[in-house]
Amino acid sequence: MSAGLNLLLVASAALFAVGAFGAVARRSAVVMLIGTQFMFMAGALAFVAFARFGLGAEHGSAGAATALFAGAVAVAELAVGLAMAAVIYREHRSFALDADRG
Amino acid sequence: MPLIGALPQPITSAPLVFFVYLVLILLIGSALASVLLRNTLYAVGAFAASMVLLALLYLAIAPFLLVALQLLVFTTVSAVLLIGLLRATTGLGASSVGRLSPEWIIGGAVSAVMFALLALVLGATLWPVQSCCAIPESFGGVLSNAYAVGLAVLAVIVGSAALGSGLMLAAPTGRARLSTPGLADRPSPRGGGSTTSRSPGGGGSTTSRSPGGGGANTARGSRQ
Repeated sequence: MSAGLNLLLVASAALFAVGAFGAVARRSAVVMLIGTQFMFMAGALAFVAFARFGLGAEHGSAGAATALFAGAVAVAELAVGLAMAAVIYREHRSFALDADRG
Repeated sequence: MPLIGALPQPITSAPLVFFVYLVLILLIGSALASVLLRNTLYAVGAFAASMVLLALLYLAIAPFLLVALQLLVFTTVSAVLLIGLLRATTGLGASSVGRLSPEWIIGGAVSAVMFALLALVLGATLWPVQSCCAIPESFGGVLSNAYAVGLAVLAVIVGSAALGSGLMLAAPTGRARLSTPGLADRPSPRGGGSTTSRSPGGGGSTTSRSPGGGGANTARGSRQ
């Protein structure tokens, strides 16, 4: 039994699928933002896995640096998204994003 | 001579493999819980737990600086932003339990013991970092030397996001404009008419574009 590239890529794909489900199927703005965060996390995990076990191991710092950048961009996206969610809540007293709300 | 050298071997150490599997299962489970839970506070808690679990996974396969950043910066900032949003909107207030109550003291003591134990294990054995031999040593140095431009761009992005979200939160919304004396009577910045005259169902103000006559509107329509 071992833990290598395949296992981490499968986990990354599962995490991305969970995030995509949260971003697409849920109506709450907060949960949609959390879903996008999971998609960022899945991408960062794949980069780190390739840097550790794949061809990127020749330059292992590159994958980790990309994961670091992805995490920071995800936090910036979360800050803007939460500000938008707060504005939506002020208008509608709800986090729900409905098409018929105008 | 082969163009591609030998790939790094997967982790075969039994405790480390068990650790990776356990963290991955918990990570996927907490992610599922985060998007499926109806209670937003519980969803935020599950999200923070999954961020911590990702940091634990990085502990086994990534440089330690990334672990520290994921655990101390990304997790903390994300959780603080989400909790701050909940406190500012849905009225998530402070705990009714006093700070010096037995619950707080016991919880703080348990947390301190757990963190001390984790620090002791990491400091004494460097497990599981030591088990993975292919970890770059000076990630911080590489980051500051090879990715200086990237870090500068990242600083600009994060600063722009902070500025944009601050401006967005500071700007008056429709409700705030209507409740502020003087603001509601000003012409709309989009040009033409008043911002208070968008109701199609009766009403209409003296400066309105509304086709319906009648008295002044005070709201943006009957949906509120």
